[in-house]
Amino acid sequence: MMLEITNIHKSFGENEILKGVDLKIEKGDVVVILGPSGSGKTTLLRCINFLEKADQGHAIFGDIDVNLKTASKKAIHGIRQKIAFVFQNYNLFNNKTALENVTEGLVIGRKIAKAEANEIGKKALDKVGLSEKYNAYPIELSGGQQQRVGIARAVALNPDIILFDEPTSALDPELVGEVLTVMKQIAKEGTTMLVVTHEMSFAKDVANRVIFMDAGVVVEEGSPKDIFVKPKEERTRKFLKRVLPEDYIFYI
Amino acid sequence: MEKYFDVSYIVESVPMLIPFLKVTLMVAGLSVLFGTILGFILAAMKIGNSKIAKKIAYGYTTILRCTPSIVLLFLTYYGIPAIADNFGVNLNDIDKAVFVVITFSLQFAAVMSEVIRTSYESIDRGQFEAAVCVGLSNTQAYWRIILPQAFVVALPNFGNSLLELMKEGALAYTIGLIDIMGKAELIIAGNYNTHALEIYLALAVIYWILSIAIEQLFLKLEKVFSKGKQVITTT
Ligand SMILES: Nc1ncnc2c1ncn2[C@@H]1O[C@H](COP(=O)(O)OP(=O)(O)O)[C@@H](O)[C@H]1O
Ligand SMILES: [Mg+2]
Repeated sequence: MMLEITNIHKSFGENEILKGVDLKIEKGDVVVILGPSGSGKTTLLRCINFLEKADQGHAIFGDIDVNLKTASKKAIHGIRQKIAFVFQNYNLFNNKTALENVTEGLVIGRKIAKAEANEIGKKALDKVGLSEKYNAYPIELSGGQQQRVGIARAVALNPDIILFDEPTSALDPELVGEVLTVMKQIAKEGTTMLVVTHEMSFAKDVANRVIFMDAGVVVEEGSPKDIFVKPKEERTRKFLKRVLPEDYIFYI
Repeated sequence: MEKYFDVSYIVESVPMLIPFLKVTLMVAGLSVLFGTILGFILAAMKIGNSKIAKKIAYGYTTILRCTPSIVLLFLTYYGIPAIADNFGVNLNDIDKAVFVVITFSLQFAAVMSEVIRTSYESIDRGQFEAAVCVGLSNTQAYWRIILPQAFVVALPNFGNSLLELMKEGALAYTIGLIDIMGKAELIIAGNYNTHALEIYLALAVIYWILSIAIEQLFLKLEKVFSKGKQVITTT
């Protein structure tokens, strides 16, 4: 088991957002989390790499074994070294070029020599199809290009797992495809991925496991086939009915 | 009979005023320096988590903003020696410039704390999160990602506040500081209060040139530092 999380609880004030979520991810898994807006998907991802502090929960991540509430600074740093994060609204460093966005974490975070970091960074940008944009600032890039820089920034770190939080939700429809293509490609290369998305095609074609979350709990999980063709839970069925095109089920 | 308006007075007074520009610039410069440092501290108090610190910083800003410069100047000029006197310290021989610097530092700090706070808050927190996610420490994330961008946002307001301070600084003559304004008053008094208009015109010209120079400097700085802010148009 590469990443195992048990019993995450998280409240904001009175609102309990995560009500005891468990999650197991094997090396090479591509896990998609589905669920209605507000069900706690973002919060779950953010708790995993400590952008939010969980109220309760436990994580085993390779050789690191921590309580999510009381983790030391060192443990947090250690876990963050293994995880990369791709944000819904990209969160690129606006004062840095595309290449600098990718190398910042390598040079400053990982202490890799600048020349070597540049090589790694260029390769990562080549991979996402941005060979022409090394020196472009985020403001000069389209949303799709920015998100691809975001993915290159994650890939370049060579993390054990990449977390994606709705990576295409902020994009114009015509730009979604280019980002999904890149994601499919890195999935094919064996990257372990945990992806929150509303792109059902990605879940169907790329994921080997789909998790359906609602109201702070995992309602159901299984292979894409299990979830899309014969969901067990009423809540899952209702959700799918709402988000899938009428005739979609038949094409799976 | 003597002309009522005589251009030669302007021409002659400029070289007499220029040496005192030093005093004006020094007082303004020191006020900016101390005011910015104190402004940083106040901004940190406003941004931080301590409720008490927040209250103090905002309270300070409100009070200082509601006090006319000249009132604040008199309060420090008469108030500080009076308080010191209570403790048996005699501050009567202290240079007047010190009180001017204190006054305008206190005032500039209030202004700067808002400039710094708003520019800091204008930078989306997501970039900070992305930075710590790729392995930067909190401090590195602030220094390398957030502050450079906040600095660019702050520059125009900083420049405006600085111009404002320089103009308000002219009030320092009221407690007897001999900067260019004070010197102008002396020249006019030396002329038995005639030709005041010409002297004030000379003074205005000097302030105009100074202001334009500062304005241009800040435009240049903005250009230099606004990496990633300008859209480079290609055809
Ligand atoms: N920092 C926060 N403070 C207060 N409430 C929050 C915060 N972050 C998220 N929430 C609330 O938690 C709920 C779940 O949010 P989120 O995890 O973003 O759901 P999802 O990603 O599934 O749409 C939402 O109702 C949201 O308003
Ligand atoms: Mg979300």
